[in-house]
This record gives sequence, C-alpha cells and structure tokens, in this order.
Amino acid sequence: MKEEKLYFEKETEDFSGNIRAGKIIKEVRFSDNPRDIKYVSENIPCQKACPANTNIPGYIRCISENRFGRSFELNRMYNIFPGVLGRICSRPCEEKCRHGEGDLGKPVNICWLKRAGADLKSPWHRNKENLYASTGKTVAVIGAGPAGLSAAHELATHGHKVTIYEAMENPGGMLMYGIPEFRLPRTIVEQEIDNIVRLGIDIKQGVEIGIDIKLKELLKQYNAVIATTGCPSAFNMNIPGEELDGVFSGFDFVKNINSGSSPNIGNKVVVIGGGYTAIDCARLAIRLGAQTVSVNLRKTEEFMRIDEHEMAQAKNEKIRIYSLVQPVRIEGKSGSVKEIVFERTRLETDKSGKGRISVPIENSGFAVDADTVIIAIGQHPDAGFAGSGIKLDGQRINTKQGTYKTNIKGLYAAGDCVTGATNVISAIARGREVAQEIDELFVKGKRKKKVVRFEPSDTTDRKRSYDFIPQVKMPTLSLRDRMQNESNEVELGYDKEAAHKEAKRCYLCYYKYEIDTSSCIYCSACIDVAPRDCIKMINEVELNKDGTLGDYIETSDWQKIAAIAIDNKRCIRCGKCYEVCPMDCIHITKVELIEQNLEA
Amino acid sequence: MPKKDHYVIIGNGPAGNKAADVLRENDRNARITILSDEHFSFYYRHKLCDFMSGVIDEDTLKVKFYKEYKEKNIRLRLGQRVEKIDPDSKTLFLKHMEKLRYTKLILAVGSAPRVLPSLLRYKDYFTFMSNYNDAANVKSMLENIKNPIVIGGDLIGINFIKMLSRLKKKATFFMYYKSFWPFDLDIKKADAIRLSLEKNNIKTISGDPVKTISRRDADYIIETESGREIEGDALFSFMGRIPNIQFIKGSGIDTERGILVNEYLQANYKDIYACGDCAQIYNLELKDYWISIGWENSILQGEVAAYNLLGEHRIIKPMSKKIFNVEGIKVKTSWWNQLKT
Repeated sequence: MKEEKLYFEKETEDFSGNIRAGKIIKEVRFSDNPRDIKYVSENIPCQKACPANTNIPGYIRCISENRFGRSFELNRMYNIFPGVLGRICSRPCEEKCRHGEGDLGKPVNICWLKRAGADLKSPWHRNKENLYASTGKTVAVIGAGPAGLSAAHELATHGHKVTIYEAMENPGGMLMYGIPEFRLPRTIVEQEIDNIVRLGIDIKQGVEIGIDIKLKELLKQYNAVIATTGCPSAFNMNIPGEELDGVFSGFDFVKNINSGSSPNIGNKVVVIGGGYTAIDCARLAIRLGAQTVSVNLRKTEEFMRIDEHEMAQAKNEKIRIYSLVQPVRIEGKSGSVKEIVFERTRLETDKSGKGRISVPIENSGFAVDADTVIIAIGQHPDAGFAGSGIKLDGQRINTKQGTYKTNIKGLYAAGDCVTGATNVISAIARGREVAQEIDELFVKGKRKKKVVRFEPSDTTDRKRSYDFIPQVKMPTLSLRDRMQNESNEVELGYDKEAAHKEAKRCYLCYYKYEIDTSSCIYCSACIDVAPRDCIKMINEVELNKDGTLGDYIETSDWQKIAAIAIDNKRCIRCGKCYEVCPMDCIHITKVELIEQNLEA
Repeated sequence: MPKKDHYVIIGNGPAGNKAADVLRENDRNARITILSDEHFSFYYRHKLCDFMSGVIDEDTLKVKFYKEYKEKNIRLRLGQRVEKIDPDSKTLFLKHMEKLRYTKLILAVGSAPRVLPSLLRYKDYFTFMSNYNDAANVKSMLENIKNPIVIGGDLIGINFIKMLSRLKKKATFFMYYKSFWPFDLDIKKADAIRLSLEKNNIKTISGDPVKTISRRDADYIIETESGREIEGDALFSFMGRIPNIQFIKGSGIDTERGILVNEYLQANYKDIYACGDCAQIYNLELKDYWISIGWENSILQGEVAAYNLLGEHRIIKPMSKKIFNVEGIKVKTSWWNQLKT
C-alpha cells in the first residue's frame, strides 16, 4: 500500500500557531492519519451518522451519473440489504444531512436514493464479492435476522463456512416478520437474502437452539458461535387488563399477520406506542377493516421515533394521533376488551438529565371504547437459548467491553440481543463487526483497515442551481389501492428522472475545498460569492490534544490574517468560490473513507 | 451600562400587537421588534371576504398603520420569515440568512390553513385564503372565474361561497361536515346548512368526499368517492386552521398541536411565551391543554403573555365556549383536544 501522511503534515511537527502553505493533493493518496479519519467524520455528516459508515455521497453521485448498479454495489460493501434499507431504514443519515441545516432547506432523501440504486440497476446486474480463499474454519450463527445474515455474509466472503440456525420458518428475522409487506415486499427481502446465502451459507430453518439443539453442541461442533437473536419479546405495560382477549403486543400482532393469520380486531383499535411498530400496527388495523384507529403517545409527536414520511402516510390513512396520554387500565366484558382508561400527562424536564419526560396528571382519567388494544412499546432480547450460564445486562447479553465475546468461551453476540432494540442498519453494522473480530482470531491478524482515500478533482460536479431543487416527493399508491390488498406496497419508488433530480440535491460533502495559501492573493472574491459564512479569514487553527485539527480562529484584522480558509463543515460545495478565484488557488479533493485490503 | 432588553414578537396579529403595546407601556427603554412574514400591516382577517368583493378598501381592512408602530418606538419588520429558533443561544434565524438575537421572545405566530391528510397530495392545486396576499390574489382572479369549486369545512369557507354566489359565480361547495372546523357537525345540522346554501343557488355536495383531483388544461376535475365528476376553473380550500408551528419543531420548544405553554403562557424555556391561536395552554382546572381561537382570545392572551414576560404571574383563564351561528344553526365550539389534526 502506498501510504503517506498528508495535509498539514508539516504543521504537526512545528505547529506554531501560524498557518503555513498546505500540501495540495496532486495524485491519488491514502492516509491512516487520525486527523484525516477525523476529517471524514466531521465533514461528511451523513456517513458519520450511518451506523454502517456507508459512503453516501459516493452512491448518490453514481445515481447522478446513471450508474445505478455501481450505486448499489457501493452500498452493498457496508450494507448487504440496499433494496430493503432503501425502504425501511430509520434514516439517521438524513437527520444529519447538511441540506437540512436551518437555513438550507430540507435534507436529501438519502434512503429513497439508496432504493433507486437497488430498484433501477440493470436486471442483469453482476454482484461483486471480494472473496478470500477458504480457511476451513466453521461458524454457527444463531438467528437469521439482519445482524446474523450480515455476519454470515462477511464471514463467508472471508472464506469461512457458515451455518445459520433460525427458529422461524423463514430467514429474515424482523425483516420477514416484524415489518408489514406494504412497507417491505417479501420478494425484495428474499432476493437480498438469496444474494447472501448463495456464497455457500447453510440456513437450517425451524431449528430452535436450546430446544432442538443445545448451545453446548454447537460450541463443540463449530470453531465459533455467534448469537444474533435480536429482540423477539415484547414489553408489557404492566397495567390491569393486559390479559384480556383483544389485547395484543405490537410485535406479535405484526408477526401473526406476516405469518398469514388475520385476527378479528373489530371496529375500534387503540394502539399504544410511538415507534415504527406502533404505526405499522395502526396501518395494518386500517387494512383489516377497523373503522377508527388511534395511536396514543405519552409525550408528543415530536418525540416519536419514526420519520415524517411514515407519519404523513399514517395520517393520510386516517389514523388519529393522540399525544400526552398514558394508559391506566384496560376494562373488559366477558373476557374481551371493552374500553381503555387513560390519564393525561404533561411534559416536564427530568432533573436527572433524561430530558423532557411525561408526567401523569392526577385525576385526569378518561375512557375510550375499544375492541382491540395493541401495546407496541418495544421489545427486549430473550437469551433463553443459552441456559443459565450466560452473563446478562438486564435482559441483554453481556459482551466484554470493546469486543463481541460473551462470558461463554467460543460464543459471540451482536446486534439487538446485545444493544437492545435499535434499527436494522445498526444490526447490519454490528453483524459485520463481530464477523471481522472472529476472522481476526482465525487468521491471527487484520485483513482490512480503514483509510482515507484522497483523489484530486478538477470539477465540482455541482451547480449552484441544484441547491434550490425542492425535495422530490415519493409517488405513492392511492388509498383505495392500498386497502384492496394489505400487501400492496405503498411507496412506489423513484423513476430515473426523479432519482436524478433528487441526487442533484446532494452537496457531495466528500469533496474537500481548500485554498492554496501559497498562491492566494487575499482578494476575498471567494468570500464575496460564498452563500454562507463558509470562507473565513483566520489567524490560527486550534490544535486538539489528540493531535487533530480543531476550529479556525477568525480575525477581521488584516494585519493578523494568516490565511483565507474554507470551513468544510459549513461549506455546501456550491462551487462558486472555485469559479471566481482569479488565481485558481482553490483546489478540490475527493475524500473517502474506505476499507483497504492489507494483503501484500 | 447594562444592555437594553430586546423583546421580539413573532407575529403581527391581535396577540402580537397587544403584547407589543403592553410591553411598550411598561418598559419605555426596551427594544421591541415585531416580525411578520406578511408584507401588509395588521389587518382584520375576518374582513378579507369584504375586501375581496370590493365592499371595503385596503385602508378599512387595516387595524393599525405603520406610523402607529413608529410612534410607539416598536420596530415592525414585515416580510421577514423566521425559519428556525435556537432557544439556547436566544437566536432567531431568518430566511434571508440574518441572525437576530433576543432577550425575551413572544410567539404569536397564529395559524395556517389546514389541509386534510387525504388531500395533502393535491395541496399545490389549492388556492387558500389565509392572509392579505391570498385575498389580493383571489381578488385579481375573481373577474375571470366562472365556476369555482370550494372544498369547505369551516365558517370562512361558507362566507366565501356565499360571496361567490353574490358575485353570480356558478360555484360548487364540497361540505366536509365530518371534518368541520372548529366543531363537529352532525348530519342533521349539515343537511340544514346544505339546504340553506342551496336556497342561495349554491350547489352543495355533502357526504361524498373528493377521491381524486386532476387537471384538464386550466380546469380542475374532481372525482368523488361515488364516481361523480365535477369540473371547475378555480379550486379553493377552507378546512379550518392549525397552529403555524412547523418552524418551531425540532427547536427544543415543546409542541403538540400548538406550542405547549403553562398557565402563565410560558413555554418550556423561561424567556419564551406563546399566545393566540398558536398556543396550547395548560389549564389547571381542566387538567388538560386547550387552545382558544379567535380575536378576543388572542388579545387577552397577548396581554397576559406580555405582563408575565415582564415578571408578573397572571394566569390565563379559558374564555367560555362560544356559540356560532352557521346558516341559522347554533353550534358550540369544542375544546381543542376534541378537534381534528
């Protein structure tokens, strides 16, 4: 590997508070300097927010170039379910998208662009897998959910033989059983699982570890065992009446429908909870024929753990959201639900630092008629498969700090069974990580490492006019067509034109803009055209204790100016400064965090 | 010398203006700024129909003229849209990229047109009549309109359709009685209103909601759930109003349907108050949050918010339930939490 410590290298040696000429990248280089790694995390906020560190600007740029297959593959390097996640991801990246900052409009629909890559690639698309030679090592994975499949895929590409044990009839875990088909068609899940298992992974379905096979036997039989058993058990409210007929846990409600049953729910359905499962239950209830469906929250809509698109669709389907209410008890008649009693709550600031909490208001109770009550307040892990010998943190499997090792020799654990319920992309990321830890153990060393790749660019790839393109809406199925068949997918996906348009909105934050201070004449033309305060007159750059670069220290005193510098954390890569610079001293470098093979 | 307080009021309606007047009367030195995203000074919203139909002129529509603000040393900044609030740094971010600092803030941002979730996808087709600009726009359209369609679920919509009828327009009124605002209408009352409108030669469709809206050249085609097709050359929506709080969400200020405030109209930040149509107020007796709508409520709340901002502890009391007369039918308002989103 050609490795070089790059930009500001000299300043680290004799940093005296004065900016010296930066070293501008002239050819493709790689760096593992912590400064450069930190630069990526600070300046590409979407990638940093993605639990799997997906190269988001990279795959969005591919869509602009009509390279849908490449976009799909860039995703698949870190996330083996692009088609799935393009539909149901909880979108932590969009929350951090620079386009969504106060004065810049709305975030890029990153999730839907991911889907566009998967949906619009060629039907003859060739998956690319970097396969290592077979090692002869064997690994058992317990649970064929996102974390398990991700771990299995990573291990298989590294040459290990993997067998997955899945208790349910079909693989996929939450993807297959925990999400309604109108949000995630099963053909997409099956196709992406096929892409994983065809690397030679065996899946033994309908086999429950601890019952059909003891964990001890697996540990004897395989070189390593990974538990990725997720969070299959629902939390109870612990209020009177939960045992009545017509009371469901949210997860069981969705799972039963996904398994083919069609519960009799009556006309009035009350859902408790503020996450995706609660909204999924409400939308399923409408499709099953309920006349009134409400989702009831202890706090307010703002604290719901769902994205605005799901909320809009739920409201469109005539689901009512009630805030600031808390269930007290469920009343029944002849063993079935009759009504649910709530009390009102108000928000207060928790003194122990939990932020805003809901506090019940005394004597504020009221009753709501209900035929069905669905309690969707979350799920927790169930480590029953491991017997009593496993160390737990509450209901979660304990792993040694900084590793995925449990207290049982040879048993690793990752995903929601360790962290508690999170989201699919986090589970996928943790699955990869546990696989890499096991691989290191098998081959006694790292095969890959994260480095920053620098590539000089002579184009901005953008126009200022792109900044004013409004978010491209997702086309959806009409209400009537949604209700005709409960499995009809609601969001129809972008066509090529829509995907292009939305992709153009991305600022492409992986471009780093720098001013070569050796040729800058301090004309400030770049400052004049900057659409926000992204170009600064500075006299110093803070140096953090860990050796990384901190914030710019600005000055308006011309006598003290050491440089005019671009603050890439504020820059929206509009390219205006690059266009107007009379000295051509603004340079653009593509900066990407990649995994580099360490093989000689 | 200590820096002067800078009281900023967002909203130039009855609540905001009353608050500004009270603040000025009680603090001669403070800087007071009213921000409004409208370009027209404080006016009577309920007289917009009269303005459109030419019954009154612009000056009669106005409650307050610019010079009155100047006389009171209140800075009125029209056409200034606040996009974001950062309560921790006490900064407002304006659309034109200005940052404005405040020491104390009153949110009197009023309300915005409500669109039913089922019609949201057609939002761009609708002409609203929410403010002076909308009214001026509609006024300029009226001459060329022949057969307008009004999708209506509120009192202003009924007034508007009657005005169209007076102007001899061949109008169709879709009455959404199940989603009427701000109170529920039962089918009996809805029928009585329909009959009354039809006496005025207004074609009224009730209980057959819009299924799809499409464009044919310059016209709008509505297909109803029962398969009827209605064509019109203009499309108006009057479905009531919702607190105009979208820009506040995510700022850390608690919101539900409105801005959540305590009985003193104080939000969850001590220097921020809300009043008028945008405030969702905790009521000690009801043990619940409520919203009052209307001019009188706004003035009362603007006054209380301003006094409390200055250090008093006045408790706001809900006005009694109001009885509206809709086409001869008496209807009572309900509490906000019974209303639809």
